[in-house]
Amino acid sequence: MHAIELKTITKKYPGAEKAAVSNLCLTVEKGEIVTLLGPSGCGKSTTLRMIAGFKKADKGSITLAGNIMSSSNTWIPPERRGVGMVFQDYALFPHLNVFNNVGFGYKDRDRKERIAEIIELVNLKGYEKRYPHQLSGGQQQRVALARALARKPVVILLDEPFSSLDADLRNHMRLEVKRIIKESGATAIFVSHDQKDALAISDSIVVMNHGIIQQKGTPQEIYQYPRNKFVATFVGQTNILKGKTGEDKYSVITALGAIRRTQPHGLKPGEEVYVSIRPDSLEVNHEGQIKGYIKELTYTGQSIDAVVEVIADDNTKLHLLTHIHPQEHKKVGEPVRLEIIPHFISVMPSCA
Amino acid sequence: MCKKRKNTTKLNNAYFRGVGKQAFPTTLLSFQKKWLDTWRGNPPGPILLIFGLITGIIMSIPIVYVIWRSLSAGAERWIRLLDTRIPQLLWNTLSLAAAVTICAVVIGISLAWIVIRTDIPGKKFWQWILALPLAIPPYVGAVTYIIVFGRSGWTRDLWLNSPWLTSTFGIYPINVYSFWGVFLILSMFTYPYVYLIASAALRKMNNNFEEAARSLGMNTSQIFWRVTLSLLRPAIGAGAILVSLYVMSDFGAVAMLRYVTFTAAIYFQRAGFDTASAAILSLVLILLTIIILWIESVSRRKNKYFQTAGTHRELEILPLGKWKVPALLYVSIIFLFSVLLPISVLAYWSNIGIRMGALDSRFFGFALNSLKISTLTSLLCMLFALPVVYLKNRYPSIISSAIDRLAYAGYALPGVIAALGFIFIFNNHLPALYRTFYMIVLAFIVRFLPQAVQTSEASISLISPRIDEAARSLGCPPWKVLLKVIIPNMLPGILAGGALVFVSSIKELPVTLMLRPPGFDTLAVRVYFEAHEAVYHLAAPAALLIIIASIIPLRYMLSKY
Repeated sequence: MHAIELKTITKKYPGAEKAAVSNLCLTVEKGEIVTLLGPSGCGKSTTLRMIAGFKKADKGSITLAGNIMSSSNTWIPPERRGVGMVFQDYALFPHLNVFNNVGFGYKDRDRKERIAEIIELVNLKGYEKRYPHQLSGGQQQRVALARALARKPVVILLDEPFSSLDADLRNHMRLEVKRIIKESGATAIFVSHDQKDALAISDSIVVMNHGIIQQKGTPQEIYQYPRNKFVATFVGQTNILKGKTGEDKYSVITALGAIRRTQPHGLKPGEEVYVSIRPDSLEVNHEGQIKGYIKELTYTGQSIDAVVEVIADDNTKLHLLTHIHPQEHKKVGEPVRLEIIPHFISVMPSCA
Repeated sequence: MCKKRKNTTKLNNAYFRGVGKQAFPTTLLSFQKKWLDTWRGNPPGPILLIFGLITGIIMSIPIVYVIWRSLSAGAERWIRLLDTRIPQLLWNTLSLAAAVTICAVVIGISLAWIVIRTDIPGKKFWQWILALPLAIPPYVGAVTYIIVFGRSGWTRDLWLNSPWLTSTFGIYPINVYSFWGVFLILSMFTYPYVYLIASAALRKMNNNFEEAARSLGMNTSQIFWRVTLSLLRPAIGAGAILVSLYVMSDFGAVAMLRYVTFTAAIYFQRAGFDTASAAILSLVLILLTIIILWIESVSRRKNKYFQTAGTHRELEILPLGKWKVPALLYVSIIFLFSVLLPISVLAYWSNIGIRMGALDSRFFGFALNSLKISTLTSLLCMLFALPVVYLKNRYPSIISSAIDRLAYAGYALPGVIAALGFIFIFNNHLPALYRTFYMIVLAFIVRFLPQAVQTSEASISLISPRIDEAARSLGCPPWKVLLKVIIPNMLPGILAGGALVFVSSIKELPVTLMLRPPGFDTLAVRVYFEAHEAVYHLAAPAALLIIIASIIPLRYMLSKY
């Protein structure tokens, strides 16, 4: 039994030209943390709201822990779905204190104990009597999370939960939220447009665009083996080149010449492809085959982002992004050589 | 409710499958689909919708009935009225509205600018005290002006006793029972509408515009005329609308001073049992109101001003210099005529009245009637406002905005017309309730619901819809969300609306006059009658009590602006 099962769900808003979500199928196992990742308007929030029951799918079915919540002849309203939700702005009840916020709607006999337990889990002991406006952003988020988890929901849904936190707190809360969810044993779906959130927190990532799932996989799979150009560019920085597969199973012919992978790419020879080369797979050294000069340098702290202008085989100019060690002193305009490290090079059919 | 939802889904999906073996006829299905689309896929529960629709219907009944009555009054009557009364009434009403609006705008803007932007001594005091006339109903103001300037007034005695004045200017030239009398009184008691809105706008105004103008070489007066004033135009427009609508709907002051505008004419036609003519005059007044609202909306659409946000800074306070004395004199004169004169006259007569035993059981009976009617009205307005704003805010659709619009209709609807509509309906269809306490309450609701809706709307718009969703996901069905989350958070706004309605009800005159059961008098009605018969020592305590009650919500309004 899957914790969540979405079958061919489709949602088109009245008046919209394209469907916000079309024929989306997704299963999530119990205890798994999944992130729906994509740019704004990709349909990730709509999907989440359909699972919660705030939006009704036009088509398809939604099953939570084996119970059908929404299908052509069933509709369970949100209050009876047993879904916990954490909102972007937390949506804490301003007129209730922390204790009553967390206990909202919880009527079982063990109310007091359960609230105490969950407040302990989110490290908010001693704050029970405070009101939301007396809490910091991170504390408010803990309350929101505790409130969503208190009723032991089948599924917990988190809509851009980190977007209103500043960078420092954000890194800390990612780990904290992951710990709390894992400890509570809940199945969670995050919605985010931030790849850092997604990579740090998820067991698996679902990349969406235009209402369609582009790829589902573990963070490593998504980063290392993007299935198409959209995924490659959306998750992490990369250089995309057009090319054609070569005669053997390993090489691709691009404007930078033939690039040979260590693993077979699994495509027919002569197929039109995109090649994604992560900045880390381009090394600046003296032996490199590719000659160019530095066009731009951006200091980021951990490294320097360098854009290298290269004249390609067909005499067009290419701009390649690479990282340089911050100790290295390079200047704009300086000629450099680049070497391609074949490990993290992905080859994607151009039609995918 | 849940069952109904289930049904809708079924139908909806059948529609998507292309309709086939389902038993429902296609027309019904397409209706279902349309219904869902109207509500953007999120229809409200039936109870909420029914409540909202009932409110909408109650609000529209009087206006619809008056229009229908006037259209079925017969061509002959129309022609007679158009030939004889209507031209004169149009002239009286429009000239008064125009003159008062212009005067109120000039006074309101100038006062606001002086007390906000200059270093006039006693700034804070003036800012507060100059809004005070808002708490004085114009008919009460009219009474005090009659006491002071009227045919047996104080100034007349003074005038006739000073031979120098009589020989130079003739025998007492002041006549409050005239266009200029009505004009002066209405201007004095309506300018705060403009003053408050302009003060708020001036406080929010971005200093950068003025600095930019100064850097381009303009001096203070150029800046005022070309920058400040043009940025104030939306505020001037909003204030002018309020004033002109007020003047057209005022009955009390106009009737006291025996000046005949549409409202007074409608009242006296109806008092003479010519309700058909009253309906015709009402329709003309409604059309006038609509034209004014239309002009306002057109001019607002044409002029859109944006204040650049983010760089707000304290406005520079301008030194008055040699203008200090004239400015102080001007502000004091307005204060004298709009606050000091009415309050001290009332205090004087109240003092006499109390010593003559005016605070007897009759007086407290009137006060109790006022209290009963105002309490019930404000409670019901708070209750009725709720579904209206909840529908509008949480279930946006054509239907919910139509209900919202109808709820606001009472704003521009003069009291006499609302009363006339209810007279028609109750007389013909509900004789059991005709001329009862409840009929007055219903008419009050139509008139004052907009105030409750406005404040409730302001407070619900601050509650994120995510809050509702959070409560839903925590196991609350929609009605429980409303009770446990929305209402507790809206409470300050709801109560503020209730307070505003309460005070408006205390002050209300024409509807009570027309609909009250025999022997049922309120404070406002007593003020009207006693003043009419020049029994000022009985009118004054009631008037003073009304003013004191009105000052409370004024504080709320001032804190809001």
